[in-house]
Amino acid sequence: MAMDVVDYEVFGNEMQYVEVELDPGEAAVGEAGAMMYMQDGIEMDTVFGDGSAQQGGFFGKLMGAGKRLITGESLFTTVFHNEGNGKRRVAFAAPYPGKIVPLDLGDLGGTLICQKDAFLCAAKGVSLGIAFQKKIGVGLFGGEGFIMQKLDGDGLAFIHAGGTLKELALAPGQTLRVDTGCVVAFQPSVDFDIQFAGKIKTALFGGEGLFFAVLRGPGKVWLQSLPLSRMADRIVRASPAAGGRSREEGSMLGGLALGGLLGGGSDE
Amino acid sequence: MVTRAEYAARHFGPGSADAGSPVVLTWREQWLVVRRGEDVIHTLRAVEVEPAAKGFNNAQLALEWFADEVRHMLILDGPVALAFRQACPPALQHRLQPVAAAQQSTERRFRWGIVVLAFLALLPLAALGLAIAFADPLAAWAVDRIPPGVEAKIGESVLAQTQAESKLITEGPAYEAVQAIGRRLAGGEENLRFFVADRPEVNAFAAPGGVVVIQAGLLRRADSPEEVAGVLAHEIAHVELRHGLRQMVKAAGVRMLFALVLGDYGQMAGWGAQLTELKFSRDAEREADARGLARLARAEIDPAGLGRFFAKLEATPSAGAALPAVLSTHPATAERMAALEAALAQMPPATIQPLAIDWAAVRAALGEPQT
Ligand SMILES: [Zn+2]
Repeated sequence: MAMDVVDYEVFGNEMQYVEVELDPGEAAVGEAGAMMYMQDGIEMDTVFGDGSAQQGGFFGKLMGAGKRLITGESLFTTVFHNEGNGKRRVAFAAPYPGKIVPLDLGDLGGTLICQKDAFLCAAKGVSLGIAFQKKIGVGLFGGEGFIMQKLDGDGLAFIHAGGTLKELALAPGQTLRVDTGCVVAFQPSVDFDIQFAGKIKTALFGGEGLFFAVLRGPGKVWLQSLPLSRMADRIVRASPAAGGRSREEGSMLGGLALGGLLGGGSDE
Repeated sequence: MVTRAEYAARHFGPGSADAGSPVVLTWREQWLVVRRGEDVIHTLRAVEVEPAAKGFNNAQLALEWFADEVRHMLILDGPVALAFRQACPPALQHRLQPVAAAQQSTERRFRWGIVVLAFLALLPLAALGLAIAFADPLAAWAVDRIPPGVEAKIGESVLAQTQAESKLITEGPAYEAVQAIGRRLAGGEENLRFFVADRPEVNAFAAPGGVVVIQAGLLRRADSPEEVAGVLAHEIAHVELRHGLRQMVKAAGVRMLFALVLGDYGQMAGWGAQLTELKFSRDAEREADARGLARLARAEIDPAGLGRFFAKLEATPSAGAALPAVLSTHPATAERMAALEAALAQMPPATIQPLAIDWAAVRAALGEPQT
């Protein structure tokens, strides 16, 4: 499959965006809502399916669309292609605080399994699929649910996750216990299992789940330090509007400011 | 020269990248040759490598071995692994069978898991559907299990509520008259207690536990004690048939069932307060009429009073006033009146002892309603 080679630059510290440079005729795919800006000459096309083009006719497209519905993604992917004469840039922004990581799928053997909302954008030719978590226990308690996303191809893909992203390489047989919800992506050679946290007391009073996610090498894994759900949980708990307590900012002004901030950010 | 089949894999271990390095595998008799680019990096005997199901969903085939006490691993993707397996020497092939079994079991458990999860997700819906479909039998079942003690508690709560909302008349001709009618109707049943509430509405109701409340407005509209007796007999019949309880159980539904199971009767007594506003089905009214007539006959009270009173209310609504409450909860439809007439005609002639009450005195004592 012909992949487009793209140059890129990641901007920002905690709230990042990535600017992708496209040569004439090159293209990138992204979630429609993630586009931040694009230069003259970049044309935006919304295509049915995942934009990886050759998808085996109408039925293949239908299947792709069905899968995207299940993962909760939009039915349409937006393809950004450079119709200009020179290099042009288009930028994609992360939807919440965290880090953007560029991954060369070619280096990873062509496939990456990731959390279902981790994908930000990719070179055209990377196909977005879903991967069902077929270990029932992991689906229920692993923190990532039954539906994960599969990126296929040998081009560049950008994934995004909350907080700080940690890339780790696990040797064959090497295991790592991870808090559920913190697994962002891994190579398909990595075992993803769960392990009982061991002590009911820890589970009940330690404020953590009953299970760890257990990753066993070989392969690379990416972890996030702050899952979005955890951050949302803290914000809701601290928000008086949602019935939370705001001890520190008890003043009317503090409450209003927080309410305004939340109101402005909840437009998606 | 013999061309040998080649299988793409990734090698993890010393000398390879963290994400694994692409290698090509070929079989040379019992030897597995691992090449990275043009270089042969490992040559392994088939018996040396340990196969296992590996990776996301167990979908990958792993071949593991140790060299200088360092672990090496080859990872083959699903379709490649299948072709590889078919071509590999018997020494390895039979050890690949458990791997295939492990992979199939992951798939099988997934399918069963989905079925079970779907079932669990649909279970509350199914339970709700069943509860709706069997609401009547369920209510009947629950009602049959309400102990008499609970009925008494409900009655007390209704009485307490009546006392809180209106003054009870506890002496005078009206009180005496109602007690006299009540004694005749009860015929020795000690649990029946009769109360007169000083309220203008034309209403009367009976609560579980034998509490019968008659409102002064009804006494004013009645032309004879037999009419009052008829209404009371009808109301008592509702209680005996547990119509009110059944309505309550249906209305409170699942909460009521839980309360029954948990023995939380206090809450049920609270629900009893709704008794005065309950409407019953036409079947329930017919049943209550028939049973009321039987009670009147036993008490040797003229049974015609029951039908007469309701017919009168229906025919001459009190000027300007709203529909009498007793009529709105027990509508005197033509159908019901006809059924009453027919039942009366079929009753065997019984001895009738008039209620010796000076009704004019009763009405005089009540006077006109204060507005
Ligand atoms: Zn009735």
